[in-house]
Amino acid sequence: MSIDEKLLRKRERSAALMMWMAKRSSYNKSLLDKACRWAVNRATTLPPEEDFLRDPLIDNDQGFDPDELDRYQRGETG
Amino acid sequence: MPAAPPFDPQAIADAKFEEREVRPGVTTKRTICQTCDIACSVVAEVEKGRVVKIRSSDNPIFRDNICMKGIMAPKGLADPTRILQPLKRVGKRGSGEWEKVSWDEAISDIGQRLKAIIAKHGPEAWAVSTSQWNTATDHGLGRRIMNHVGSPNWISGVALCAGNTAAVNRFTYGWFPMGDFANTKCIVLMGHNPRRHSWTPMYNFIRQAQARGAKLIVTDPRRSSSAERADIWLPLKAGSDAAMMLGWLKVILDEELYDKKFVENWTIGFDDLRKRVDEYPLERVAKLTGCDPEMIAKAARMYATEGPSIIPWTPITDMQRNSTSGIRLQSILRSVCGYVDVPGGERLEGFNPDIINESTIEMHHVLSDAQKAKQLGSDQHPAFTYRGQEAFREPTKRVYGQEYANLIMGCHMATPSATFRAMAGQGPYPVKAFFFLGNNPLMSYANMPLIIDAMMNQDLIVAHEHFMTPSAQLADYILPGDSWLERPWLMDSFGWMSSVRPSEKAMEPPGECKSTFEFWKLLAGALDKPELVPWDRLEDFYDYRLEKTGMTFDQLVKKTDIYFAPPKFRQYEKKGFATPSGKVELKSSILEELGFDPLPYFREDPPVDPEYPLKLFTGVREDGFFQTGHRHIPEMRKRHPEPLLFVSPGTATQYHLAEDEWVEVENEMGKISIKVAIKDAMPDDLIRIPHGWWKPEMKQGAGHLSGALKYADAQLCRDDADYLDREQGIPHLKGVPCRINKVEQSEQSVAPASAMEPAE
Ligand code: SF4
Repeated sequence: MSIDEKLLRKRERSAALMMWMAKRSSYNKSLLDKACRWAVNRATTLPPEEDFLRDPLIDNDQGFDPDELDRYQRGETG
Repeated sequence: MPAAPPFDPQAIADAKFEEREVRPGVTTKRTICQTCDIACSVVAEVEKGRVVKIRSSDNPIFRDNICMKGIMAPKGLADPTRILQPLKRVGKRGSGEWEKVSWDEAISDIGQRLKAIIAKHGPEAWAVSTSQWNTATDHGLGRRIMNHVGSPNWISGVALCAGNTAAVNRFTYGWFPMGDFANTKCIVLMGHNPRRHSWTPMYNFIRQAQARGAKLIVTDPRRSSSAERADIWLPLKAGSDAAMMLGWLKVILDEELYDKKFVENWTIGFDDLRKRVDEYPLERVAKLTGCDPEMIAKAARMYATEGPSIIPWTPITDMQRNSTSGIRLQSILRSVCGYVDVPGGERLEGFNPDIINESTIEMHHVLSDAQKAKQLGSDQHPAFTYRGQEAFREPTKRVYGQEYANLIMGCHMATPSATFRAMAGQGPYPVKAFFFLGNNPLMSYANMPLIIDAMMNQDLIVAHEHFMTPSAQLADYILPGDSWLERPWLMDSFGWMSSVRPSEKAMEPPGECKSTFEFWKLLAGALDKPELVPWDRLEDFYDYRLEKTGMTFDQLVKKTDIYFAPPKFRQYEKKGFATPSGKVELKSSILEELGFDPLPYFREDPPVDPEYPLKLFTGVREDGFFQTGHRHIPEMRKRHPEPLLFVSPGTATQYHLAEDEWVEVENEMGKISIKVAIKDAMPDDLIRIPHGWWKPEMKQGAGHLSGALKYADAQLCRDDADYLDREQGIPHLKGVPCRINKVEQSEQSVAPASAMEPAE
C-alpha cells in the first residue's frame, strides 16, 4: 500500500538518527560517543534468558591456556 | 529504537564501555571472525603470542554475535594436522606421496607450468575456484591477475549461495539489497533458519525485531526453530518457493495491497506480470506447494500490510530448479509493495565512495570481449556470467559510478558444471590448470563424480589450504594458508553494503603459512606481472584502498569498528535504478534479450520415478561446521560425530528404519552412507542430508578421499537439465528424488569401525 510521504520522511529521519548513533557508539571516545553507546546498548539488550537457543558454551565465555594450545599443536594432547 | 531515555551525563562518562578488563599478560585485538561467511566483529584475547580466547565485541551493535565455531577457532587452527609448509606431489596424482618444498621452489615451478599450459591451450585453460569469504585477503587480486592473463574461468560456491542472488537481483532493480532489520516490521524467512550457532547476527537481529513487535513469517518444509517462533509457518513442499511467491503476488495484486504510486512511477511490466500471476490462482498454488490456501493468503496479506517488510537473503531459494524465478519473485514482491530503499525495507546501498572497492581492483575491463565470450557455461546459462551481466555496464555507471559491480563476487562467474565438464575433456576447449583457494571443490558443487574426473584430467592443480582436504589430496601443490587470527583484514561486504570494517592481526601465522594476498603477489611475480600487485604488505594495500578516507588502516582501526556514510534513502529518485530502463523491471528486458522468459514462472518437478519415491534436500550446514570444514575439531565432532539423515516418524515406520541405524541413500547419481535420526519436525517423504561430510581421520588419497566417497552429499547432487536452473545453470538441491536402502547387519558393524580408520 502506498505510504504517506510525511510518514516516510519521518521514518527516514529516525533511521538516519539510529545510524548516526551507531556510528558514534562505535567511536566510543567523546562524551557524545559514550552517550550514544549507552543508548544503543539500552535499546538493543535482550535478557540472556530470552535466548531460546541458549548454550553454556556461549554463556561460559571461556578461553584456552596458551601452553595447552602449544602442546595440542605439537600433537602431545588430544 | 525507542526514544532516548533521560540520562545522567556523568554516569555515561564513567560507564565502562571500553574493552572488558583482561587478565595481566593478556592483550586484546578487535577482529572479524572469518570461520564462516557471516563475519562477526569479535575480540581476540592474546597471551604469550597466541590467541587464547574469542569473545563477542564490546560494541553493542555487534553484541552477542558469536557462535561456537568462533569460540573454538584458536584450537581448531592450532590443530596438529594443519599444513604448515608447502607440499609438492611426488607420486601419482592422489597417491598421498608428498615432499616438503620452499615457497620459492613451489611458486617458481607453478609459474612455469602455468605459463606452459597457457602457451599450449590459451589462457582460458586456467580455472580458479574460491571465494573471498574465508580467504579474505584476496580482495579481487585473483580476478585481476586472471583478467590480465586472459582467463574468464573463475568459479565459486557463491554461484549457489548469495553470489547468484546478487546477480539475479540486479535484473529487477540493478543492485542487491540488504534488509533493514533494525526498522522492519515483518521478516520473511524462506527456508532459512538463523540460529545461535549459524548465521548468528541474523538470529540476533530477528530476536531483537520480534522483541519490538515485528512479525515473522517462515516458509519451510521442516518445523525449524525459526518456524516454531513464527507468526505464520507455511510448511511448503521443498523447492516450491517460486510457486509460493506467485501465490502471494496473486493475493497482493487481486486485493490491491501493493504500492500503486511506486508501481506507477517506478516500474515497467506490471500488466505483463499481472497476466502471469493470474496463471497461479490460490488453488493451483496450494497444490504446487502443499499449503493451505487460506494460510498462503494470510501470509501474503501480512507481508503486504504489516510492512515495511523484508525478505532477507536465503540460500534456500538460491539452490532450486526455479532459483532465478524465485529470486526475481522476492525482488518483485519487495518492489510492488514499495519496500525498496526505504527504512525498514531493503536498502540499495551502493559502493562506499571513500573506499577503492574490489570490483575496481579486479579490473574486468582489461579482459577482452573475445575472452569474456569464452567464459564456460555462458552460452547456455548466462545469468551470472559476463554475457548475462553485460547490459548492466552502462546503467551501473550511471547510478553507481562504475561499469562493473561484482556484488558478492557473483556477477561475472563461469558456471561450475560447465567448467568441470571442460576440465574433464567434455567442453568446448580444454581446461588443464586448476587452482583452488580456501575451497574444497570436490564436495562443494553438484556431480562429484564429474569433478573427480575433471581433477584427474588436469596437468596442474594448486591448493591454498589449511588442511589435507579431499580436494587437496588430488593436488600437485598444497600451499599453507594463514587464518583470520593471523592477518589483518578490511571487510567491505563484497560490494553488498557500503560499510567497511577493519580486523586486526592477533598473532603471527604458524610455520610458513601465507595470506591469499601473498599467494597472488608471488604468483603475479612468477607470471612476470609483478606490477599487478605492487604493494609490499597487506597493510600498504589497505592504506591505498583507504586513501580517500584520509586515514591509514592503522588509524581506521583506532578510530572505529565500522566505517560508513550516513544512509540515504530512495536514491533512485535522483538517478533511477541501475537497469536498462532506469526503472524496476518487473518484466526483465535483459532476460528477454538473452532469450529467456522475462517474467517469473514455476517449472514443476519431472514425473516421479517409482525407483526413487522419496525426496531429499541438502545444502544444510550443521551448527558445528561451516560447509566442509571443521570436522577435525574434537569438540565439534563430539556434537556431530556422524552424518545424520533426518527422517519423519511416518517415513521411518514405512521404511522400517530405526534410530541410529546406518543406511544408504541412493539416487541416479550415486549413494552415500548415513545414520538415521528420526525427527518429528520433518514432513513425511522428505529427508534431510547434511552438507559436506568427510572424516579427516580416515584414509587419504584417490579411492578413499578421507571418507568423502562414502559420505559426501555432492555425490547425490545432480546437474542434468531437469535439475538445473535454466538461466543460471545451478543445481536443484531442494527436493531430489532418492531412496533409502537398508544395509545388512554385518555392514552395519563394519561401517562405524572403518569410519574411525586412522589416516595414513
Ligand atoms: S557466526 Fe560464528 S563462525 Fe560465523 S563469523 Fe560469527 S562467530 Fe564466526
